Amino acid sequence: MRFIKVNLRFLNVWSIFSFLFVLGIIFSNLLVFTSLFQAPSENWEHIKEYLLADYIKNTLLLITFTGTFTFLIGTSLAWLISFYDFPLRNFYKLAFILPLAIPTYIGAYTYTGLLNYTGIVQSSLRNYLNYQVNPKLFDIMNIGGAVFIFTLFLLPYVYTIVSSFFQNQSSSLIETARLLGRKPLNILLTILLPLARPAIIGGVSLVVLEVLNDYGVVKYFGITTFSTAIFKSWFGMGDIDSAIRLAASLLIIVFFILTLEKMVRGRKRFDSSTSKLRPITLQKLSGYKALLAFTYSFLIFSLSFLIPILQLLYWSLITYNNVLNNKFWQLLVNSISVALVATCTIVFASVIVANFQRISGTKLSKAYAKITTFGYSIPGAVIAIGVMVLFISLDRKLFWFYNIVNPESAELVLSMSLAMLIFAYVIRFLAIGFNSVQTGFEKIGKKFFEASRTLGMTTTKTFFKIDLPMLKPALVGGFVLAFVDVLKELPLTLILRPFNFDTLATKVYQYASDEMIPEAGVPSLIIIVVSLISIFLLNKMIMKEEG
Amino acid sequence: MYVQIRDLTFRYKNSDEDILKNLNLDIMQGEVISVLGQSGSGKSTLLRMIAGLEKPSKGTIIIDNKIMVDRDTFLFPEERGVGMVFQDYALFPHLNVEKNIRYGLHSFSKKEQSKRLQEVLELVNLTEFAKRYPHELSGGQQQRVALARALAPKPSVLLLDEPFSNLDADLKGRIRIELGRIIRQSGITSIFVTHDQEDSRAIADRVVFLESQNHKSPLIKSL
Ligand SMILES: Nc1ncnc2c1ncn2[C@@H]1O[C@H](COP(=O)(O)OP(=O)(O)OP(=O)(O)O)[C@@H](O)[C@H]1O
Ligand SMILES: [Mg+2]
Repeated sequence: MRFIKVNLRFLNVWSIFSFLFVLGIIFSNLLVFTSLFQAPSENWEHIKEYLLADYIKNTLLLITFTGTFTFLIGTSLAWLISFYDFPLRNFYKLAFILPLAIPTYIGAYTYTGLLNYTGIVQSSLRNYLNYQVNPKLFDIMNIGGAVFIFTLFLLPYVYTIVSSFFQNQSSSLIETARLLGRKPLNILLTILLPLARPAIIGGVSLVVLEVLNDYGVVKYFGITTFSTAIFKSWFGMGDIDSAIRLAASLLIIVFFILTLEKMVRGRKRFDSSTSKLRPITLQKLSGYKALLAFTYSFLIFSLSFLIPILQLLYWSLITYNNVLNNKFWQLLVNSISVALVATCTIVFASVIVANFQRISGTKLSKAYAKITTFGYSIPGAVIAIGVMVLFISLDRKLFWFYNIVNPESAELVLSMSLAMLIFAYVIRFLAIGFNSVQTGFEKIGKKFFEASRTLGMTTTKTFFKIDLPMLKPALVGGFVLAFVDVLKELPLTLILRPFNFDTLATKVYQYASDEMIPEAGVPSLIIIVVSLISIFLLNKMIMKEEG
Repeated sequence: MYVQIRDLTFRYKNSDEDILKNLNLDIMQGEVISVLGQSGSGKSTLLRMIAGLEKPSKGTIIIDNKIMVDRDTFLFPEERGVGMVFQDYALFPHLNVEKNIRYGLHSFSKKEQSKRLQEVLELVNLTEFAKRYPHELSGGQQQRVALARALAPKPSVLLLDEPFSNLDADLKGRIRIELGRIIRQSGITSIFVTHDQEDSRAIADRVVFLESQNHKSPLIKSL
């Protein structure tokens, strides 16, 4: 009897916390929809009539082309790496993950600087080859250019998911197909692609969501999309109502994509689970085929990593004297401390929701888990609007209390503070921490928990003595991933940061907007290096787990 | 001789021990051979070399007067016309039974394809299951589909790697008889690998022992 009582009381603590976190997510998103029922402003009529079609068209163009190209390139790279051996294959296997460390907006600024009139490409052509080029040829500040940038730097999403799928296939499938007389390319089309469909769709959906989330690239390239329109309505025209309506429209697109993904991905389920796996044996390419594979890989690696990094290094070398001043250290401290606080909260919340789900296993707790991961699909601009509205109304509600504490208090306290930004980070990136923690719990399973309980430990004691130590790798993994994402986050930070509060990401954005791209080199490189370190750390952890 | 294997030697790149050494084996057309041997003795490796999935470090394989591999030739698996049934059956999970079988018939005309499909389905007694997906079949049925698929393109030789290892013991007796019947009925030259003497005796014309290379004993003994 006592056993049950303790259990229940404890569950309540977990459940209350879980409930609060989930409530935060729901609230900030629902609020976005409420305004749809109010009378629209005049401005909205104008937007609807003249601009909305443009936003939709641009957004669709961007996601369609980026989706297609990341699919084609990401899948072909995954195929080459998973089944063939060619010069530097082992290097490329890791190298194709690296572009993940370069945020798309940094990629956009770098390529713009590289290709503009004073950039290295045009000036080399002028000075060494005495060749005046048509500047239009190198103008990437358009939709095509944005697709180019998104494709290069979002490629790893498709590549990693699809190649890990390929590498988990039993080699006998491919060997059988060969024995039945099919050639490699034919096997790719008839066997591998159909089987990999869920993985491919999963990867491409992530890419599409990232494109919808983007603000830094489209703003800089002057492409009007929902993100830029939301910003413009809010800051440019002070029209909160239209901003919210735009956010709601964008959210509807996201819902549509998520539903579409479920539909195309989930129809057929094949389990080849009983198959005894024989690891894929790599086929050695030789002659022109090896050369072709190598060249293709080198081209992608150069464009998506090597060239931008070299350019940023060069810019850092020529500008670090001007950039590295006292203000810069403040920037660094800001970025790191905000990211630390947000990430710790994320990991804390992840553990609570995941543990609640594991122990109780009810429908409700599963729904919490779903909602928790949902935040990651929502574009930053939408979350920003929702959180802003939520905090402003909180401030109004709490004004009487502020007055008691300090009679001269301003009305807006919370919504002027860092708390709002950190709260938004937590909502947006909770999914990242949560996924790691949940996978960690799944790996441990329930048997240690149950063994400990039968040995007379309470749930809480079990949690601290058994679960937490075993969960450490998952926690570190979740922490690192979330930290990096917060560090490079741009749209949320731009909207929600307190006045005069800069982070590395906003500084990069600002330099680029002020036509001082070379000065953006140092802060960009810091973001990239931190991301790279985290990629290597995680890779090491995965390798260690696999033995 | 229909199948001639001469001085076949194999070692993995990362190892310095020969898995197989100077193996010689002759098989007559239509003969059913069973290869017996302990785990790790190289039975699967032998089949994989005949199929072209591994490259021997030395030796010759000739099937029906066609050189599969020797010092200067190496035919890729897709060029050999050899059928193989894998231990895990390797049915394509996204294709139904009919499409799995048709997969190897791409060089047949549409009409011939349908005819051959019906033939092999009847041979393995699965005519009603043509539209089922692999995961809707029992283990024994899956095996018969794999067999039908391998036989459909009329390969020169049929290779079977431990055809009974995935089946329950009480099923095994029945399926052994069934498999024997199918192979006899199709008249195909077959090599099947097993580590169960009873399997060998029940189906094979001739049993061949493959002994582990670690003991420096003669490689092949015929019964
Ligand atoms: N990729 C590899 N690299 C090095 N050695 C290998 C590799 N694959 C298999 N071996 C070794 O080759 C030997 C023969 O393997 P093979 O699979 O042919 O044995 P088998 O007779 O089929 O065994 P079983 O009855 O267990 O299936 C084994 O000793 C195995 O350890
Ligand atoms: Mg074997």
